[in-house]
Amino acid sequence: MGYVKGLKCRECGREYEVNPIHVCEFCFGPLEVSYDYDEIKKSVTRSKIEERPKTMWRYKELLPLESDPTVGRYVGYTPLIKAKRLGEVLGVKELYIKNDAVNYPTLSFKDRVVSVAVSKAKEFGFKVVSCASTGNLANSVAALAAEGGLESYIFVPYDLEQGKILGTLIYGTNLIAIKGSYDEVNRLCSEIAENYRWAFVNINLRPFYAEGSKTFGFEIAEQMGWKIPRHVIVPMAGGSLITKIWKGFKELEGIGLLDRVESKIYGAQASGSNPIVSAFKEGIDWIKPQRPKTIAKSLAIGNPADGFYALKTIRESGGSAEDVSDEELVEAMKLLARTEGIFTETAGGVTVGVTKKLIDHGVISKDEPILISITGNGLKTQEAVQDRVGKPQIIDAKFSEFEKMITPRQKRLKESVFQSAI
Amino acid sequence: MNVRVRIPTPLKKLTGEQDIIAAKGNTVGEVIQWLTETYPGLRERLRDENGEVRRFINIYVNDEDIRFIQNLETPVKEGDQISIIPAIAGGSSQKRKVTLTFPPERIQEPVIYNIGHRFKIVTNIRSANVTENVGWVTLEIDGEEEEYLKAVDYLKEIGVKVEPVEKDVIV
Repeated sequence: MGYVKGLKCRECGREYEVNPIHVCEFCFGPLEVSYDYDEIKKSVTRSKIEERPKTMWRYKELLPLESDPTVGRYVGYTPLIKAKRLGEVLGVKELYIKNDAVNYPTLSFKDRVVSVAVSKAKEFGFKVVSCASTGNLANSVAALAAEGGLESYIFVPYDLEQGKILGTLIYGTNLIAIKGSYDEVNRLCSEIAENYRWAFVNINLRPFYAEGSKTFGFEIAEQMGWKIPRHVIVPMAGGSLITKIWKGFKELEGIGLLDRVESKIYGAQASGSNPIVSAFKEGIDWIKPQRPKTIAKSLAIGNPADGFYALKTIRESGGSAEDVSDEELVEAMKLLARTEGIFTETAGGVTVGVTKKLIDHGVISKDEPILISITGNGLKTQEAVQDRVGKPQIIDAKFSEFEKMITPRQKRLKESVFQSAI
Repeated sequence: MNVRVRIPTPLKKLTGEQDIIAAKGNTVGEVIQWLTETYPGLRERLRDENGEVRRFINIYVNDEDIRFIQNLETPVKEGDQISIIPAIAGGSSQKRKVTLTFPPERIQEPVIYNIGHRFKIVTNIRSANVTENVGWVTLEIDGEEEEYLKAVDYLKEIGVKVEPVEKDVIV
C-alpha cells in the first residue's frame, strides 16, 4: 500500500500533503487524492486482484490508506446479477443490476466510503467521527465507528424515515436531528468542523471518503469480466458517487486493466429534488440550489457538493440525466421487487424509474447492455410503500376458510402442480 | 454607488485584515473590478486565467446569489451589501445569531437601527415578538468580531439582554 502522492485541487491543480483538509486554500476548489499510477500499473494485475478476498479491499492500491483497513474489512463485492425478468418488462436485451442493497454491514453503498473514511480517521489519530447525513451515511458511520471503538456524532434532518433513525441509534451514537433540510444540516456541520477537531467523513475527510465509491465501479468492471456495460445508470444526491464510478472506470483503463472505456453514464434524480438534472437539461454548468420535496429522502440534496463534476461526468461520457416523480419511483420499487426479488429503497426506485424512462424515450438503446446501480435497501424506507403493497389476508386456522378465500386462478395453479407431480 | 463588501476570512490577509470594505461600482462586476484594483492580491484569488469569477466562489448581493440575478451585470444600489463566500465553506461562519430581550422602557426606541448605524455591522431580524411590556427579537449580526462585541456591550449598557442562540440550533 501507499501509492498516494498527496492531495490536489480539482480546479487549479495546487498540491497539498496528505492531511484532513478538503478545500484548496488558493481558489477554494475541492481537493482530491492523487496517486502514483505508474507504480500502481507496475504492481497490479487482473489475476493478482482476482486471488484476493472478495471485498472492496481487493483494489487497495487505488484506495487512499497507508496501511490495511482497520474497520469495514468485509465491505463490498456485492452481487452483480443479470436481470432477465426486469429486462423483459423493459423490453431490453441485456440488463444487469449491481446490488448494494445488500452491502455489508449497513445495507447501502455508503459502507464503501465510510470504511475508507473511518480507517483514515484512525490513521490521522482522530477520536471522534462525525457526518451530515440523509440516513444511509448515518447508519454506516454509527456502525463502523462502533466497530472501530470511536465516538461518533451524527447530524441528520429531523424528518427522516424511522428505519434510518433506529438503524443509527442502535449503534450507541450521538444522533442529533436538526430542524431543517439536509442542506442546512450540512451548513451547520461545516461550521462545527471549523471549530471542533472531529473527523467529519463527508467534510474534512471528503477527499478520502469519496474514493471509496470507486470500488462500486471497479466491481462492475471485474464482475462483468473486465468490461463495462455500454449504459450505466446511477442515482445522484450530492453527485459524488457518479463522478467516482466514472473515475474508477478511467483509472482501470489508465493502469491497463480495462480496454477503452466506452460507457455512457446517466444520472437519476427525483423530480422534487433535481438540481443536477435541471442543469443538464438547461445546458448550463452550474447548479441552481433547490428546496427538495420528495419521498426519496436519501437523494434530497438541493445544493449538491459535487453537482458540477456530476454534470461534467455525464457530458464527458455522452450520457444523459432524467428524473421521476414520487409516484413513478414507488411503482419502480415494486417493479424491481416483483421481477427480480430485490427490495430497494426509494433511491433505487428513482434509478429503476429513470432507466425505464430513458429506454421508453429512446435515449438508451434496447439492444445494448445496460446496468442499473442499486445503492440502498428497501427495509429502511418502508414508509414510502407501506400503503401501496396490499395487506395480508387474515383467516382462521381451518382448511374450509382457506378454500373459501382462494381464487379460482390460484386453485388451478394448485391442480397443475399436482398433475405435474403425478 | 457606495456598497459594503464582506471578505471571507481566508482572504482577509489580502485586504489588510479588513473583513468589511466600503467599495464603489454600479454593478457587481464593477465592484469586483474596483476591489481587485484597490487590493491587487485579490485578483488571482477571485478570477481564473480567463478572467471569470472562480467556480467555487459565490457572490451574494443582500443575501441573493448573483447567478439568480444577472451575474456580474447585477446592478447595485447605494448601501447594498455584497458578500464573497467560498462555496464549499457552506455559508457564512461570521454571522452570529442572538436573541435580544428589551426592557419595557426601551421598547419604543429604534435600538436595532441604532446599532446598525453606530457600529460597522449588518443586522437581519429573523423572528420577533414585541408587546407593550416586553419584547424580544432574534437577530443575525454580520460583521467584524470587534464591531460585534462593541455592539453587544452597547446593548447591555442600555439594559438589553443579549443571548446567543447557536446552542438551540444544535441541540
